[in-house]
Amino acid sequence: MGGLSQVSFVTPALLWGLLLLPVLWLLLRAVPPAPVRRQFPAVILLLGLRDEDSSADRTPWWLLLLRLLAVALVIVGFAGPRLGGVGSVTTGQTPLLLVMDASWAGSADWADRQALADTLLQEAEATGRPAALMVLSELKPVRFQPAAEVRGIAAALVPHPWHPAPDELRRAIAALSNVPNRVEVAWISDGISYRGQDELLSVLQQKGGVTVYQGEAPVVALQGVDLTEGNVTVRAARSASDVMGAYRVQAHGRTPDGGAQVLAVAPLRFSLDEVSAEASLQLPPEVRSRITHFQIAGYGSAGATWLVDDRVRRREVALIEPRSEGDIPRLLSPLHYLEQALAPSVDLLQGTLTDMLPASPDVVILPDVAAIPAVEKAALTSWVEKGGVLLRFAGPRLAGSDLARLYDEPLMPVRLRAGGRQVGGAMSWGSPKALAPFGPDSPFYGLRIPSDVEVRAQVLAQPDPDLARRVIANLSDGTPLITRKALGQGQVVLVHVSADAEWSTLPLSGLFVQMLDRLAISTAHRSPDPAALAGTQWRPVQVLDGFGGRQPASTQTAVAGEDLLTAPLGAGLQPGLYETGSAGQGRQLARNTLAGDQSLTPAVWPEGVRLQNLQRPAPQDLSGWALALAVFALGLDVLATLALSGQLLSRIRPIAGVLVCGVALFAAGELRAQDAGEDTRTLPPPEFQRAASQLLLGYVQTGDPAVDEMSAAGMRGLSRALYARTSVEPGAPVGVDLSRDDLALFPFLYWPVTADQPLPDTTGYERLNRYLASGGMILFDTRDGDIAGLNGVSAAGRRLQQIARPLAIPALEPIPTDHVLTRSFYLLQDFPGRYRGRATWVEAAPASAEQIEGMPFRTRNDGVTPVVIGGNDWAAAWAVDDRGAPMVPIGRGFAGERQRELALRFGVNLILHVLSGNYKSDQVHVPALLERLGQ
Amino acid sequence: MSDVATATLRAAAEREAAALPPLLLRAEHLANTVLLGTHGRRRAGLGDEFWQYRPYQQGDSRRMIDWRRSARGDQQFVRQREWQIAQTATLWVDVAASMRFSSQGALPQKGDRAQLLALALAALLLRGGEPVGLAGVHLPPRRGRAQLLRLAQHFAGGSAVPATADAGLTDYGLPEARAMLPRANAVFVADFLGDTAPLEAALAKAAERGVRGVLFQVLDPAEEAFPYQGRVTFESVAGALRHETRQAGGLRDRYLQRLAERKDHLSHLARAAGWQYHCHHTDQPAQAALIWIWQALGADQGRG
Repeated sequence: MGGLSQVSFVTPALLWGLLLLPVLWLLLRAVPPAPVRRQFPAVILLLGLRDEDSSADRTPWWLLLLRLLAVALVIVGFAGPRLGGVGSVTTGQTPLLLVMDASWAGSADWADRQALADTLLQEAEATGRPAALMVLSELKPVRFQPAAEVRGIAAALVPHPWHPAPDELRRAIAALSNVPNRVEVAWISDGISYRGQDELLSVLQQKGGVTVYQGEAPVVALQGVDLTEGNVTVRAARSASDVMGAYRVQAHGRTPDGGAQVLAVAPLRFSLDEVSAEASLQLPPEVRSRITHFQIAGYGSAGATWLVDDRVRRREVALIEPRSEGDIPRLLSPLHYLEQALAPSVDLLQGTLTDMLPASPDVVILPDVAAIPAVEKAALTSWVEKGGVLLRFAGPRLAGSDLARLYDEPLMPVRLRAGGRQVGGAMSWGSPKALAPFGPDSPFYGLRIPSDVEVRAQVLAQPDPDLARRVIANLSDGTPLITRKALGQGQVVLVHVSADAEWSTLPLSGLFVQMLDRLAISTAHRSPDPAALAGTQWRPVQVLDGFGGRQPASTQTAVAGEDLLTAPLGAGLQPGLYETGSAGQGRQLARNTLAGDQSLTPAVWPEGVRLQNLQRPAPQDLSGWALALAVFALGLDVLATLALSGQLLSRIRPIAGVLVCGVALFAAGELRAQDAGEDTRTLPPPEFQRAASQLLLGYVQTGDPAVDEMSAAGMRGLSRALYARTSVEPGAPVGVDLSRDDLALFPFLYWPVTADQPLPDTTGYERLNRYLASGGMILFDTRDGDIAGLNGVSAAGRRLQQIARPLAIPALEPIPTDHVLTRSFYLLQDFPGRYRGRATWVEAAPASAEQIEGMPFRTRNDGVTPVVIGGNDWAAAWAVDDRGAPMVPIGRGFAGERQRELALRFGVNLILHVLSGNYKSDQVHVPALLERLGQ
Repeated sequence: MSDVATATLRAAAEREAAALPPLLLRAEHLANTVLLGTHGRRRAGLGDEFWQYRPYQQGDSRRMIDWRRSARGDQQFVRQREWQIAQTATLWVDVAASMRFSSQGALPQKGDRAQLLALALAALLLRGGEPVGLAGVHLPPRRGRAQLLRLAQHFAGGSAVPATADAGLTDYGLPEARAMLPRANAVFVADFLGDTAPLEAALAKAAERGVRGVLFQVLDPAEEAFPYQGRVTFESVAGALRHETRQAGGLRDRYLQRLAERKDHLSHLARAAGWQYHCHHTDQPAQAALIWIWQALGADQGRG
């Protein structure tokens, strides 16, 4: 808030209306308040009485002042007072030329830039100056228009995922020649320097004063992604190094079922004076292969998004089984070691060549296959020429065949000498050979060779002029171990030993895995040579917008392969994912915003350029406040007038209503916030707080008061019995409303089923299922043991079936004689309640529960039955009144009392079963129980 | 009388009678609460009801001996009956416009309260066997429950007996002192805000005939408190009188003084005529007022 000097008015002429206030003062003083008419029977007693003083007919001075204040506020309010803003930067009548970079580098704080542009144009609009907008990343002819129209254009502007192109800038400079010479330039820069920026600036400076607005935070962008040994390293750069910076890199990808997901997050920290940083993500290969792009979290910019193409995809490797006779033991199978080595990192396909090739795998591995039928050979050759990798292993069959003996075989990198050789065997002189260190040209360069890797047999290559170029791994005696040749766009690799442990210990070593990894997977990691892409056409699949959002490509044209990775970005080449070949099958390459380890150079502005940051306070409109104050003053006036004429008290009710409405309107927002706050802090009712600190028995409220009362009395009786007989000391029972209450506090719920009970709602069922799954027990009681079986003939039984249908209730069986319920506290054979009825059902024993010879009980050590279902109306048998006297007569005479006692014993057993699980089923207790059973 | 005329009359009567039960019911209810607490003459005298046995005394005629009672012992008893004497009561209830006033919605109008009290009193008296009537010539005193119905009908405005011709039109009512029976009891229920000269005349006339009674003033609490402020134009209910003030609060003290003078004057008038005066406010319970009137009448009878 500045001083009064910062207040300006939209229509200052209205302020002349303030001169009318003195006139108003006189008028108001002259008019007394209107009289009130009242009926009064005793008026006859008043006749002839005179008023003592006549002062009250004048409106008091403070009320007049209040009214004048209200009128003055209305006048000021309509004059449109504004605080700050106007006149602070853009002055005079010179046209405003608004220059915006609008590249990806500014998209992270694009909202600020847009707000700034709007503010500048708004000011120009207020002073009636024309304005023009020049978007450097998307140049259009510069045309001066009324600022209001330019505001509309600027509001619709989005940043582009490229920097202004130099040749575009040259054209822009040329187009500036027809711009009038006296303009004021406001350049909203993204803070990154690019070619042509200085030239444009010098031209603009000739036109008029240049003010550059740029953000203070450095621009951050991802530079590249490296894959090393399962580690994904994301490199990032920033434009300024004077502050520390902490960001988070997110790896976005698909879930296995195709949804989008953040797969991993890693911190990205720029330390002071560093412009680059790395984030490292440890990802298992199967997760790595699902990554679609990396992104700096919360930094919406095309530069902060790094698209990933199939260079990190999980590759498909086809293992071709050699045609073999008989059943080879697994460890002798030549494929075994390959499977073991490859399975963690690639998708393995196994089968025959004819089956595999149509699936277009990335790599085909032929272990010791010599003879390939001609048809398959042609298919294989054309597949390799289209970019496949064929990896072959030697073996007895290859050594024994005539393949590539006399002529160059397309699917073999070298010609072979007949028979191969054995070293270090029982019949040979030499010792087993070790591997020579890998040369720098070899794809295996850098791998450490374990000392225990030795080769006892190999196939030998014919000396050829090309041989030296094709060898990528040697034995210590210089004979080739692995040879490779290019074939079309693909390559053929031959390992001169077998894939099993027969010829060498190589397959047993970790080196084998690493070598396979490099051959089969990482061969595609390196960026393709631009020259190799020459002549290909790449179709955009996805393009990035300026904010780093991935948009499906629709209008973009295909790009030539040689331009794809190196040409500067622009409208014709947007960063994105490009594809060649048939849709969904071909190769994919990603073009990202920062290509080829480009760094970010901050823009440098020469002397004479005013530099400001993006935040600019917009003028604050005060007219609303003035008018609100005026309304408030008028409201006070109403109250004061009523008070003066003695009507305040008699009309207190309508006034109070108005006041309440007003307060409600003013406080509506706040009230909502308070409501929300109170919702989160709602305390459960006191009995539930009690349940959290004490064991309480719960019963489900059916809505039938008589049944609920009986349930409460039953639970009370059972609680008393437990208190008296066991160490379980429950408190007063609690009725539970399924739709509202949290069940988690109750270990046990009694649920009397009535025929007309409403079904629980969805949340109720969710609660119940969660309750049952987390170890709660519900005793369903249909209370019809006198009339019905469990076949659902009674109405309550049918209702129970309806209620229980959505519940996760396991298979049931009548309580078997060896169930824990028969002995968890008392030894029971029967479970009567008010009725001594039919069977009571519990969760069925697992089929694996076997009766062990000599043991009275089956071993059933797991699980408390989640439900007990019966119809014996236990609550009635347990029910006691406040003094502890039974409420419901059971049976007749002593037999009835005995039945009540047994019902209570069942209840005690049930609660102890809930609380102590199948502890009594423990074998430790069997001898004692046997003794008591007298067996 | 033709059938049509009868039917019309009957329909009109029933329509009017529809307003009757609430008032009658409230009045009977009120009368019941009083009857429980207060009894009749409680002395031996002429009458039908048994009062007591007393021992035969010298001078009693033998015819007076109750033989059935005396046969039970050696002593002779005389059977006494309760003293029952008819004491005619004449009611006058002000029905002028000034009675149609209630300062707050929750309070009854003065006129309502006055009619309720009068009717309840009538019910009590009729139950005691007294003839009750209205002052004036329209509803002469009679006994019996039918008279209560007639009274109620009159108050509800539906009787063939016309109310006073100026009912509800003039601001202040004139007391009715015509056709008063000698030595009867009279109850005047009004606000007595109007001119006191007619009242003085009526009281003088009553005193001449030995009529005693009660001046019962019913006032609204607003009339007692004068809670008005600011610039007010006061109007009488009928609209005939009007007084404008700029500061009603300033009038309060002088108004209250005038009201006190009026009350004092009324009390003075009443005493001069051997009557009793009481002021009742509509925010006070009607039961207390009824008890006061009942006891005032009873005390009067006891004295006389």
